[in-house]
Amino acid sequence: MIFFDIGLTLALSICVIGIVYRVARWSGKWTSRTPHLSSGFFLWIVRAVKAVILDVLFLARSGRTSFLRWLAHSLVFFGFMGLLLFHAMDETVTATFFPFYESTLDPWQFLRNLFGAMTLVGLALMVYRRVRSTKLRLLTHFQDWAALLIIGCILLSGFLLEASKIMSPAVFDRMTDEYFVPGEVGDLTALKAYWAHEYGVVFSVEYPRDEETLELGASLDEDSCVDCHASTATAFVSRPLATALGPVAFALNTSRADQVFWYFHVIFCFIALAALPFGKFFHPVSTPINLVARQGRRDDLEEFQPSDVLRGVGMDACTRCGECSLHCSVAPAFTVLGNQNILPSEKLVSLKQFQTGEQMSQASLTAFSEGSRICTECLRCTDLCPSGINLQDLWIASKAQITKRAPSPNDLLRKKTAAQRARVFDDLCKSSSILPAVAGLADDSASYWACVQCTTCTSVCPVVAVCEDPSRDLDLLPQQIMNLLRMGLKEETLGARMVWSCTTCYKCQEHCPQNIRVADVLYELRNTVAARVRDGGASCEGNGESL
Amino acid sequence: MTRNDDIYDVMVIGAGFAGMAAALFASAQGLKVVQTGATGGIDFSTGFIDLMGVHPIAEGKRWQNPWLAIEAVIRDCPKHPYGLLSKDEIFESVDTFTRFLAEQGLEYVGHFARNTCSVTPAGTIKRTYRVPKTAWNGSLALGKKAPTLIVDFHGLKGFSGTQLVETQKHHWPELKTVRIQFPGGHGELYPEHMAWALADPTVQEKMIAAIMPHAVDVEYLGFPAVLGLNDPQKVVDHLAELSGKHVFEIPTMPPSIAGPRLRAVFDRGLPSLGVCTHSQKMVTDVQVLDSGMFEFSVGTGAAKLSVTAKKAILATGRFFGKGLQAERKKLVEPVFDLPVVQPEAREQWHGQEFFAPQGHPVNSAGIEVDERLRPMDASGRPAYDNLYAAGAILAHHDWMRMKCGAGLAIATAYKAVKELMR
Repeated sequence: MIFFDIGLTLALSICVIGIVYRVARWSGKWTSRTPHLSSGFFLWIVRAVKAVILDVLFLARSGRTSFLRWLAHSLVFFGFMGLLLFHAMDETVTATFFPFYESTLDPWQFLRNLFGAMTLVGLALMVYRRVRSTKLRLLTHFQDWAALLIIGCILLSGFLLEASKIMSPAVFDRMTDEYFVPGEVGDLTALKAYWAHEYGVVFSVEYPRDEETLELGASLDEDSCVDCHASTATAFVSRPLATALGPVAFALNTSRADQVFWYFHVIFCFIALAALPFGKFFHPVSTPINLVARQGRRDDLEEFQPSDVLRGVGMDACTRCGECSLHCSVAPAFTVLGNQNILPSEKLVSLKQFQTGEQMSQASLTAFSEGSRICTECLRCTDLCPSGINLQDLWIASKAQITKRAPSPNDLLRKKTAAQRARVFDDLCKSSSILPAVAGLADDSASYWACVQCTTCTSVCPVVAVCEDPSRDLDLLPQQIMNLLRMGLKEETLGARMVWSCTTCYKCQEHCPQNIRVADVLYELRNTVAARVRDGGASCEGNGESL
Repeated sequence: MTRNDDIYDVMVIGAGFAGMAAALFASAQGLKVVQTGATGGIDFSTGFIDLMGVHPIAEGKRWQNPWLAIEAVIRDCPKHPYGLLSKDEIFESVDTFTRFLAEQGLEYVGHFARNTCSVTPAGTIKRTYRVPKTAWNGSLALGKKAPTLIVDFHGLKGFSGTQLVETQKHHWPELKTVRIQFPGGHGELYPEHMAWALADPTVQEKMIAAIMPHAVDVEYLGFPAVLGLNDPQKVVDHLAELSGKHVFEIPTMPPSIAGPRLRAVFDRGLPSLGVCTHSQKMVTDVQVLDSGMFEFSVGTGAAKLSVTAKKAILATGRFFGKGLQAERKKLVEPVFDLPVVQPEAREQWHGQEFFAPQGHPVNSAGIEVDERLRPMDASGRPAYDNLYAAGAILAHHDWMRMKCGAGLAIATAYKAVKELMR
């Protein structure tokens, strides 16, 4: 068992070291520290117990999102926990509580199949859920598939191991060598015949199936085997699997498939153990801690302000179920801009990197910053999170920090004068890899040839109307913008606050006696700049002095 | 395209003076009326209703009595649209028109057989038939040469009290001016925004407080026409009460607020008379059905709709109203493609001198109509039995120089409806 011991030691070491490392990073690099007071401890305990029962054991918060998700997760949770405690840790757990425990006796054999089947069905539902929804499929990355795959492999290899043992004559021989003393010649044949018939062992030769032989076999089985072996019929997954594998049974038996599958099964278990501290594999540890610590409140009570460690727990508690992103109120912005950091589940990944001090490229920081900015703090993700993470607090607490590292191009631009902005926009256009993304009305002199500069657009403009001093507050007024554009001075207009203050109420366009598409043009100017800024936003810091 | 299954008695194409008047007169006759048209010239109107002011224009002769001027113009230019109308028709039409305006809260005043003199923002004197009541005190002050203060504002373009006083000082010595900071805004000012701000009594009070030190010895206070948008008379009355002076407005350079006030009256008033208005929409296509009725396509894009009418009045104006279009070589009428009376070649559109007092041949271009105001085709017969024309689109007049725009529009609209009823 050197292989097993070394493997277990290795996997356990990785697991322990990983957990220590991960827990150590829970405190993060938050700048807004808030005191963690602990009055009202008794109440906290009551709520925590409630959370353990409802949220941890019965996955109540998952149930709030969708029945399918709750069912899948419950199946995997109860199935896998059953296998872990009563099968994987049978020597320490099962044998302690049940002195006459044998893995091939019922109810253990039946329960093992039941738990395994539950887990597999749950996993299948999880895969179905991620494949069915296009949105969710986009959010599913390597670690999500890996987690499903590894658990799935453990289960499949386990069932194959059991099935291959059921049909293996080698395993049968090992047992009879050890535990069976044949009284007469023909006893062994009778036992083999009975086991082939009743237990599904597939021998290389056909044994007689007459009533007499089977009766003898049954009595021998009664004497020597039943104390430790229940009928394999209760292995309601493995036994049919063994039957199904009948056509290749001979090949499997000669190649000792039972030993091969054992290695597979054990290796997958080690991989899972070693992977526990990484990515979402950690959630069986972190999510219950978070659920107990926060008890799923939408905001924190005054006496339990989020401490940095709790924030770390929260970030680690994400199971990447994607519910937050599916229900995110600014998800349409992601559809348009394609920045995954707009979605909470993906932004959380960036936030974790950011808070644990991992290296992030400027591009990642910019994308993260944009996602952080676009969030409206509508509280929906926090309300919904099945893991009870205080996402709202994470978003708000990190906003200022990330803005410092990757400032909003809009903020940078707002501080400039209209002329400086115009120069920056011009620079962006020149430095960008693409041609101006929007070329349409504004560049076409035919859009304005009918303009008589009558000022109707400016007169009816409600934005101009609310300005105390329109030329000071808006830089240029609508009819002046139209005039500059028809002279080909588009760059001069881009930075004007009028362009950016337009509410697109369309009064100007509706009132224009010459049918000039004033509001459409203003909107297009904004889109022009937006395309340039997204393309080269980092260079918005300067004042466009290169001109 | 939205299909409107209603069949209207008359479609009025155009939303300027002529279009609004035609819709008003037709609905008064109990007809089922539909009207279309983008913001027409009415937004650019001074708010004055001219009947006939200058003839012959080459001499710049101004007339005190509009009726005599009309007689003269019919005598000298028999094809002038006024030649198709009787004096009674003209009088009745303008009277009905101003009565409607008064009912809607926009009162007009004037004399019967005499034009009223009014001061323009340039300081010149304009003769017109009817003026808004809010401008009336200005004409009285001008007549009496009374001590008057013209108020203007820092940042308002197109209105200069100094220019006004400079132009009038020899005739009107007691005219003076002051430029003040507008209490509702700084920097560049626009009439509509000022009008909104001045609807607020506290702004009015602040403004009067700033003016009073300069108005000790005057009887009249003249303002650019920015005194409220929807109910200017109320603002004028309140300012008069606050200051103890007679208050009046002078129209600003176009677009003056007087135009939108007129349009607002029709936007409010016509639908309540049962007129179906499709404002800000232009006719893009017309089909003549077998029954002889017209089927119009109105508007573009998603808002496009179809309108069927038994008869139509074409009141689309000239160039600014899009009733006439100047192509490279010729002028065209875009809705029905009617023949346009025009100089033979483009080089004859304009004379050598741009500011020539007699104007340019293109300024009299338009469509030819028979004595019942039905547009004629190339052979000189009515193009359609059920199509009538009114307003500036008619040929053989130069309303801008003759100062006959509003009167001509209103009177021909009246006549067109009358003929259409026969």
